[in-house]
Amino acid sequence: MPFTFAKSTATADESCTVEDALSLLEFLLANPGAKVDLGPCATLHTAVLQVLLAVKPKIIALPREAFLRRWLSPALAPPVKRGSK
Amino acid sequence: MGTPLLERFVGEARDLLQAAASALLVLEKQATDEAAINDVFRSVHTLKGSVGLFDFPAFTKLVHAGEDVLSAVRDGKLGLTSDLVDVLLDVLDQVGAWVDDIDGTGALAQGADGISKEMTARLRTALPADYGAAQASPVAAHAGDLTRVDWLGAIPEAERLSAFRAAMIGADLQAIEYVPLDDCFFSGEDPFILFRQLADLHSLVVEPTEPWPSMEALDPYRCVLRFRALAAAPPVEIETLFRYVVEQMRIAPISPHALVSVTGGASGSPVYGDFVDQARPLVLAGDWSALKRAVGALLQLTAPALLSASALRWLEAVLTAPAPDKGWVNALIDCIAEGEEDLHPLEPRTPPSADIPNLAAPIPTALGGLSPTAARILQSQRTILGLSLPAAGLASRLDSVARTVENFLASEGLGAAESTAWSAAVDAAMVEGDCAPAIDLLDQWLLVGGDSTEAVIAAVMMAGGDLPRSRPEAGEHLGHEIKQASRILKVDQAKVDALMNLIGELVVSKNSLPFLAKRADEVHGSREMSREIKELHAVIDRLAQEMQSAIMAVRMLPVSEVFDRFPRLVRDVARKLDKHIDLVIEGGDTAADKNIIESLGDPLLHIVRNAIDHGIETAAEREAVSKPTQATVWLRAFQESDQVVIEVVDDGRGIDPEKIKASALAKGVIDEDRAARLSDQEAVNLVLIPGFSTAAKVSDLSGRGVGMDVVVTGVEKAGGSVTVTSKTGEGTTVRLSLPLSMAVTRVMVVEAGGGMLFGIPMDHIVETVRVHRDNVRRFKQAEAFVLRDAVVPLIRLDHLLGEQSQVWFGDGSEEDAVLVVRVGGNMVGLMVDNFREGMDIILKPFDGILSCIQGYSGSALLGDGRVLLVLNLKELL
Repeated sequence: MPFTFAKSTATADESCTVEDALSLLEFLLANPGAKVDLGPCATLHTAVLQVLLAVKPKIIALPREAFLRRWLSPALAPPVKRGSK
Repeated sequence: MGTPLLERFVGEARDLLQAAASALLVLEKQATDEAAINDVFRSVHTLKGSVGLFDFPAFTKLVHAGEDVLSAVRDGKLGLTSDLVDVLLDVLDQVGAWVDDIDGTGALAQGADGISKEMTARLRTALPADYGAAQASPVAAHAGDLTRVDWLGAIPEAERLSAFRAAMIGADLQAIEYVPLDDCFFSGEDPFILFRQLADLHSLVVEPTEPWPSMEALDPYRCVLRFRALAAAPPVEIETLFRYVVEQMRIAPISPHALVSVTGGASGSPVYGDFVDQARPLVLAGDWSALKRAVGALLQLTAPALLSASALRWLEAVLTAPAPDKGWVNALIDCIAEGEEDLHPLEPRTPPSADIPNLAAPIPTALGGLSPTAARILQSQRTILGLSLPAAGLASRLDSVARTVENFLASEGLGAAESTAWSAAVDAAMVEGDCAPAIDLLDQWLLVGGDSTEAVIAAVMMAGGDLPRSRPEAGEHLGHEIKQASRILKVDQAKVDALMNLIGELVVSKNSLPFLAKRADEVHGSREMSREIKELHAVIDRLAQEMQSAIMAVRMLPVSEVFDRFPRLVRDVARKLDKHIDLVIEGGDTAADKNIIESLGDPLLHIVRNAIDHGIETAAEREAVSKPTQATVWLRAFQESDQVVIEVVDDGRGIDPEKIKASALAKGVIDEDRAARLSDQEAVNLVLIPGFSTAAKVSDLSGRGVGMDVVVTGVEKAGGSVTVTSKTGEGTTVRLSLPLSMAVTRVMVVEAGGGMLFGIPMDHIVETVRVHRDNVRRFKQAEAFVLRDAVVPLIRLDHLLGEQSQVWFGDGSEEDAVLVVRVGGNMVGLMVDNFREGMDIILKPFDGILSCIQGYSGSALLGDGRVLLVLNLKELL
């Protein structure tokens, strides 16, 4: 089980696969306000990313892996948008 | 023969060539048939793609040239004439020959390079002169992919800056928009991971395509994301990476200037005025390193959120280029001087793709924005010139405006005349120390420019309208292929044949169960056991039959397999003979066994050639008898009970029975007596007799001394029959009827010659009757009986087979078992000892020394191990 679900925190494992999207969503549904720790995560499946984007839980830690950290940080912790759309 | 890949290529190439050729013929008839254009283009395109896998440069080049021509045809730049179709068909033929070479030897025939060169040249001459130029730039071909890149402005400045810097040092920027399918997770895709593999990703925005549903309603496995990225990678690399999802992604080249926007809070500090004054001379002098230092120093002092900071950052980025663009530098310095937000400060440096819209105001269509943008650029330059300013600044300002307008002219592709006029005006302004000449010219353009910009827009619309079309199609094609791949299995025929043999064996073994049942009853005295075996037999029988028909269905091919080559043949022959012929194919999807279909090919070829060569008159002759000059040949296929019927019908001159009779007489096929007695239909049937050919002269096409009898032999070998009907002056119909399958033969088993078993093919049998001995009439040696008011000759099978059966094996009721059969249109009664059951058998023709034995079509193995001889009634009677 790549996500470790504690009382109010889901901690990601190194690799989050497509199956984990459902379990994560169920956890977040059951525990509103739960936080997610992505620290150890090195590969994140799009489906999991989509759950994170849709539910917008509080992210305690972004992945330490460089690529994920770089491109997830604006999406999961959106900075104030500059420029006009 | 080489690798499996090569083998597959050969098969595929043949299919593609066939598809291309038939589509070409449709096109020739109706040049506007878009589906056909796309078909032929797609086939050739795919062929080009597949041959690229192998090292056949001559092949690839020729197909490529063909593709160019077809692409020009598709874009409406080239009309498809009959001559062009001839050239293209020649190309297809040549390619077909090469495919055969590859199949045979694994390499192209000698001299392929030369042929390729010559044919390529022929194709190229057909192309419009400017066509190659338009195709030369691959960027142009892809420019239409992503028609709206209006989201660039939403990308954080830092990311745009980094992309811009990369572009400044020569990287190729691409905007990628990828909207995965809803169900992409189910097909194992992970869209996000794709971007990880992109070499130089500068921006990635992941957004939902629709507002997020509530948490409860969220379906985690329905992908609603949209990915927008900016990458500095060659388009080819991106396309390779996204090759499996090519339908869902769009890419567009981004010119760097589109990334630039200067935004932020205004600052009234005099520092910037000083900087502007200091910078201008540096720009004029081209002292970039000094300017860079100045920019760097000022940037340190400026709060990042300020507008001037933004402009300075961009300026710094522009200056990273080995040879910074003066116009851009000036424009950014202008921004700092004016202190106003400018979302689109830079003009394109290079001719931009038309579809990069104004960053500031996303306009409904990218193309529609061109006119206001163009006007705005000219207008703003005119305003700059119109500002009053000290004489010293004139030179630099004029220089900057001059450059901008020149770039604009170049980018809009306006003619040399405008640009000459412009430099003349600028020179005049320089000399006079007054902007007036330049302003006048700009005013003039702005006033009358309507027309010319409109022309530009029209041109862009054309390009934009045509080019993007190619992508979705390519995608569509890919999708189509994938769909096909999952549904259609290409299986070696030998495997199906093996299955066929196995099912044959199974049928035979199954047939032994009734014998076993009988033995159980008679030998072991167990009636119960016998009944159970019979029940089991019924089940196995049903399964075996279903299995057999399933395997037969695998072997079934549509007759279009054979028909497909005829449009080409008819066209070529008709052109050669200068006849106008319309070929109408009906029922191409009628299916029959592969062997049957294959055995049809040659006979049909012969019949159709005959029809065109002899049957159809020339246009002049047709006109003389007031027929439409356009003759028609119908090729029809349909199923009639368990036969597949192919008809070749023409509306030509028909067969003249008198001529046939005369010819037959002359050739000694019949004698005068018989000729006089022949009905017209019988006379027509004479053409089917061996050694008969009416061809007045031997032509290239038919009448090579082999007549219709070749057709008859071919068709009869496959268990079929041929009939010819004709009406003088109205046309001829040749009708072939063939069994749907010849793998399994249904026979009736009869007893004759004292307990010997013989099989008689079921298709000959009309009925079984028992004839009372008293009803058999004798006419000298011959016997006959009356069956429903018709006299049917009676033949004893024993006599026929040379068996002397004195002993009468009848069933004692003074009745004889008579099998009424139809042979060659005549009813004959065959007297046998006894009827046995009907049976499916696998007929094995005699081979070896047995093959010369007349009267039998083969043998089959019975369930109890006995050999059943199957009679060939045609030979016997």
